[in-house]
Amino acid sequence: MLNIALIGNPNTGKTSLFNNLTGTYQYVGNWSGVTVEKKVGIIKNKKGNLIDLPGVYSLSPLSKDEAVVSNFFVTESFDGIINIVDASQIERNLLLTLQLLEFEKPVIIGMNMTDVAKRRGITINEQKLSEKLGVPVVPVIARSGKGTATINDLLTDDLKVDASFTLNYGPIIEESIDQIIDLLPANLSIPKRWTSIQLLEGNAEVKKYIESLVAGAGIDSIIQATNEQIADETAATNTSKWIYSVRKAFIEELIQTSVVTEESENKSLTDKIDKIATHPFLGIPIFLATMFLMFKLTFDWLGIPLSDILDGFISGSLTTWITNGLNTVGASDFIKAVVLDGIVAGVGGVLVFVPQIFILFLLISFLEDSGYMARAALVMDRTMEMVGLNGKAFIPMIIGFGCNVPGVMAARTIETPRERMLTILLTPLMSCSARLPVYALFVGAFFAKYQALVVFSLYVLGIVVALTLAKIFSSTILKGEFSMFVVELPPYRMPQGKALLRSTWDKGKGFIKKAGTFIFGGSVLIWLLSYSGPAGFDVPMDDSFLAMIGNVLAPILAPLGFGTWQAGASLITGFLAKEVVVSAMNIIYHVPNADSLQGLLSNEFSALSAFSFMVFVLLYVPCLATVATIRKEAGSAKWTWFSVGYALVIAYVLSLVIYQGGKLLGY
Amino acid sequence: MLLTQLNKGERATIIDLSLVNESVRRRLLDLGISEGSQVCLQCKLPFKGPCMVENCGQSLGIRLQDASYIKVEKTC
Repeated sequence: MLNIALIGNPNTGKTSLFNNLTGTYQYVGNWSGVTVEKKVGIIKNKKGNLIDLPGVYSLSPLSKDEAVVSNFFVTESFDGIINIVDASQIERNLLLTLQLLEFEKPVIIGMNMTDVAKRRGITINEQKLSEKLGVPVVPVIARSGKGTATINDLLTDDLKVDASFTLNYGPIIEESIDQIIDLLPANLSIPKRWTSIQLLEGNAEVKKYIESLVAGAGIDSIIQATNEQIADETAATNTSKWIYSVRKAFIEELIQTSVVTEESENKSLTDKIDKIATHPFLGIPIFLATMFLMFKLTFDWLGIPLSDILDGFISGSLTTWITNGLNTVGASDFIKAVVLDGIVAGVGGVLVFVPQIFILFLLISFLEDSGYMARAALVMDRTMEMVGLNGKAFIPMIIGFGCNVPGVMAARTIETPRERMLTILLTPLMSCSARLPVYALFVGAFFAKYQALVVFSLYVLGIVVALTLAKIFSSTILKGEFSMFVVELPPYRMPQGKALLRSTWDKGKGFIKKAGTFIFGGSVLIWLLSYSGPAGFDVPMDDSFLAMIGNVLAPILAPLGFGTWQAGASLITGFLAKEVVVSAMNIIYHVPNADSLQGLLSNEFSALSAFSFMVFVLLYVPCLATVATIRKEAGSAKWTWFSVGYALVIAYVLSLVIYQGGKLLGY
Repeated sequence: MLLTQLNKGERATIIDLSLVNESVRRRLLDLGISEGSQVCLQCKLPFKGPCMVENCGQSLGIRLQDASYIKVEKTC
């Protein structure tokens, strides 16, 4: 079995190529940092595994997702590399290629985006390039899959190792390389020359690894001496600059012989769109309008009509079929109650919202694929800087609108640890799709005329709270001076239908899976707790265990406007997944469909307390899956507890202010 | 002159990056921008927001403050 690593600059189409080579569907987008963790798939020709790694500009890491790649090189064994190169940015892409060639493993170069390059007047002679570098260069179109067959054919059992590539870095560096090689352990699993060069360049991950193997300051002193010598005797001020300039000079020569560049001054579509999207004054309003349009589509225009149809089906035909089926097989009353009152009410009550959630995912995927995300980061940077974050932190937050889990993961692309931690802590305040069913239920009952507006206000509230807390945290517990923001703005691309549907399904299937696991389990549990009590089974709901649990919370929640045991019990179970709040209500109020539940709720809640409840659900605590992800990403139990604790406090205080304030104003 | 002193749409050659913060400079080098690179100031966002700079057909956004440490020479 071969293990092939797929490596390239960010946003060059690695994941698209990965999907085409393996036939699996990974998540693709049009911004730097879509892939933050390595992913493994089986190559179509069954010869081995393909490993998709986060995009990097160099093997020396600056951020967490880049460290994943350096760490992979140092600690894992693999047989070859597919290096995907963006033809339109060939110079800087080749900087990485040189470092890969030095690793002495077979390399195949996939030359992507030759069409974009052609439009810019750049033509690449793959044959020449291949001769010069000594490795195969295959033109590919990663999005459509053209050229992948050729790569597939090259991936045979006997990948030719051509370790002949060496770049001479000049007498000073070459001497230091030889000295370091002598000090490295004899049985080192990674190439010694490569290791020495990386050490001289200042690769922190490689240094960490070597230090774990050899003690002593020998290597360190060589590195330092080289640095001084370079500064004294050459035009460069330090070793890494010198190495950079040697590589750059080599690439320039390479390009002169194998790339033809013509001047082309035509304004691309990207420039035209950017005139508007990053317009000095229209930029932010356009961003907000885009978001609002998204919610208009999700709710008023498309989502609600579709979910009404689904609701009719589940509470009508489907329930009748299941009842008939259970009657035919002679199920006991207990089983019938579990299935109809527990599972159908609980799971069905959430599945009704599938259309809305898929539409939201589709729209988010569209934004991701188009290239707008990086522009949103740019437009928001000034605002984010004022609260101690940077514009890049906005991308995890928008992703968090879909689901907080990938949102928290996406924070890996943020370079500074302090800003990354802040983003991890605050992304759960973004209103994810799992909270949508709760809003949909309540706005339908209380704010029928202004559904999109009310829901939009909750999303905005989430952002405002996050930004306010960012300011507070960054000036108290997460203080730090340094902040950086450099973002690549990729050319706009029209998202392809197929890719869009794939990534929508990719995100949405998680929701359906959740319906089959957490929500299913939660529903059965809630139903059981509501069916049993101290007095035995089949007790009146008010005497059930569920009511007892809810009653503990009710007095605490009373000042917020929803001091009923039903609200308390559904909020507790909502920790499993926020949709479970709706499942719980369906079971507790024991109603056949969403319409009648909405009717019932209007007796229990007022418009004001409903809003207060929605605010509480928005903020109160990240769901179980998100908490687990925060624990993993933040790597600290303390911060995980903090994220749960502060959210509870904020939710309580804000709901209190809204409810009590609203009452004073006479609502 | 400094990168931030350019007018919108003007082209220039970078002559000195040494005053730029270490990490930012590393990132700029990663993106292929070093001394001698040709850049074009595409736009500046209001309220001292970031600016958009183009190099070899690639656009990128950097903060005004960082841009103000980049020395350039105008090319006509």
